[in-house]
Amino acid sequence: MPLKRDLVVGAALTALAIFMIWQSQGFPRIRAMPYGPDLFPRIIAGGLILAAIGIVIEGLRNARSGAATLSTATSTPPVHYAALSFVGVAALVAGFALLLPVLGFHIAAALVVVLAVPIFGGSLLLALVMGGVVPVVLHYIFYSLMRVVLPWGLLTPIAW
Amino acid sequence: MDLFALLAVVLTPKILGTVFLCTLYGAFVGAMPGLTATMAVALLVPFTWFMDPVQAAAAIVATTTTAIFAGDISGAVLKIPGTPASAAYVEDSYRLSQSGHPRSTLYSALFASVVGGVIGVTILMFATPTLTYLSRNFSSDEAFWLAALGLSCAVLVGGPSVPRNFASLFIGLAIATVGIDVAVGHPRFTFGNVELYDGVSFIPAMIGMFALSELLRNAVGGRQSSRLRLTVEPLREALLTAARQFAALWKNVLRSATGGTFIGALPGAGADVAAWIAYAVSRRFSRKPEAYGRGHIEGVVDGGAANNAAVAGAWTPALVFGIPGDSVTAIAIGVLMMKGLTPGPDVLNTDSALVYAIFGSFLLANLMMLVTGGLVVAMATQVLRVPRAVLMPIILILAMLGGYAISGSTLAIWIILVLGLLASAMLWADIPLAPAILGIVLGRIVEDNFMVSMLKARGDLTEFFARDIAAVLGAITLTIWAILLYRALRSFIAPAKPQGSRDTTRDNTDR
Repeated sequence: MPLKRDLVVGAALTALAIFMIWQSQGFPRIRAMPYGPDLFPRIIAGGLILAAIGIVIEGLRNARSGAATLSTATSTPPVHYAALSFVGVAALVAGFALLLPVLGFHIAAALVVVLAVPIFGGSLLLALVMGGVVPVVLHYIFYSLMRVVLPWGLLTPIAW
Repeated sequence: MDLFALLAVVLTPKILGTVFLCTLYGAFVGAMPGLTATMAVALLVPFTWFMDPVQAAAAIVATTTTAIFAGDISGAVLKIPGTPASAAYVEDSYRLSQSGHPRSTLYSALFASVVGGVIGVTILMFATPTLTYLSRNFSSDEAFWLAALGLSCAVLVGGPSVPRNFASLFIGLAIATVGIDVAVGHPRFTFGNVELYDGVSFIPAMIGMFALSELLRNAVGGRQSSRLRLTVEPLREALLTAARQFAALWKNVLRSATGGTFIGALPGAGADVAAWIAYAVSRRFSRKPEAYGRGHIEGVVDGGAANNAAVAGAWTPALVFGIPGDSVTAIAIGVLMMKGLTPGPDVLNTDSALVYAIFGSFLLANLMMLVTGGLVVAMATQVLRVPRAVLMPIILILAMLGGYAISGSTLAIWIILVLGLLASAMLWADIPLAPAILGIVLGRIVEDNFMVSMLKARGDLTEFFARDIAAVLGAITLTIWAILLYRALRSFIAPAKPQGSRDTTRDNTDR
């Protein structure tokens, strides 16, 4: 597992480096400038590749010496549930970004809280109570107290 | 100007009240995960419209000072540093509070912060005339080396695996290249999104990497433990322990506060760089360097003293040069300019009353922080008793709204998501996050100053060593690079055993 993981990490870092080099070839150069906008991306890409090589070598050495085999020994919950929670939280963030301008922050925040509470192991009742309370408190802190401009969305007709 | 004369300037009921309220406000906002010191000050700006210059300066200074300290609170309790300045030692403070010492750790950090801040402002007060002279000679060469030095420190103080620290740093630097480039103004890696032209803004990046990744990991953690399992010591015992720890480490505080002030005073290097360097120096001179990163109080005290001292120091480049040391000072100097202050080498002649009022407010705010910060620590640890199912959704919504509030754009929420996923992948790969954060902060500074210097020198790299101060800073940086290279090569030649076993212990305790 650790070796496989290190190979994946090395490949991902190399892919990022190749992408940066490929993209930076299109960057314009000006004759008056000794170094162009492509210099730092290229240096960084080089650094990423070196780091990738280092990580893979480290993984190979660890695999050979038999170290780091304990890393999966801790008890973890069933994989499908963990994956579901992970995707759930990520989806809530994406959903909030998409729906905040449409629904307004009261409704969007209430939805996020109602859906997030069960993911973190809370009951449905707790979810509903928090879904009711949290938007009011947020309104008070951000809108009334700190005067941050937040979108009202669907509630715009009654905004104050 | 002596200390008592300084205090006399600010000892009026109005300023006292302002400082008291603002230290309380700064402590609460700083302690909230996802709400940073920068945000605390940014949200304060509308209120400073209604204040006179001295009061406005006092409000900003008091908020900054306490918010920087309070960043330690969410760092220790939730492993989410409230400000980048707390990132250097968050691993230590978090593990200390996990092992049942959240209060004594935070009180030690508070004492270190207060003393660090007082030392910082004292040095600043006496040194500003001299530094005014020195800063006049500062150029992009020195600024470049300073930022490069900061980056090198990130690799030096990161996790045990050098290639992984490097990977983290370069990921951060790669993120910093997003946006309009400084050389010719070409948009890089923006994928046609105009809002990305300014680059990946720092606050959502921080929230994503530290807050969302932690939330995602908690979600994966499942239902088996619905509460954050943490024991809190009684208040009296915590205060006594902290006082004892602080008394034993007073030399560290003195060293880190002095160093932190000077690092903070240099343009481009703020409280975060000061904390990193103080932490690295502390580990170097400690009797127990192996304990660092695993819950050791020494690094927390050193970093805590250094970052609060640097907050005071950061005002020097802002006042005498107009170059803010960090984002908080950038906002602050903007407000003061609206109030009629003109930063520059002549500031001590033109605005001396206001400058000394700023020093006085720093002193007052640091002393007041002992009370208000202590109060917030005592109360903030109540957060630990809140069930995870209540706490986590609140952090989630606060993180997203906090990111959004700074820019008023949903792009911030997308940045939070992307960098949160990236950070989760990095944690899975056992790559530390902190060097990446420093890469994001300093990447642009390194490139900007490099380009400016090269434009002046027409591409001649030896120009970076042509000036005295630059040559010294450059030599230090190159030495650190040599040490890192040597360490990396040695770890490939020497037996791999300690490397592997260290990685596994980290894997296990992180869960």
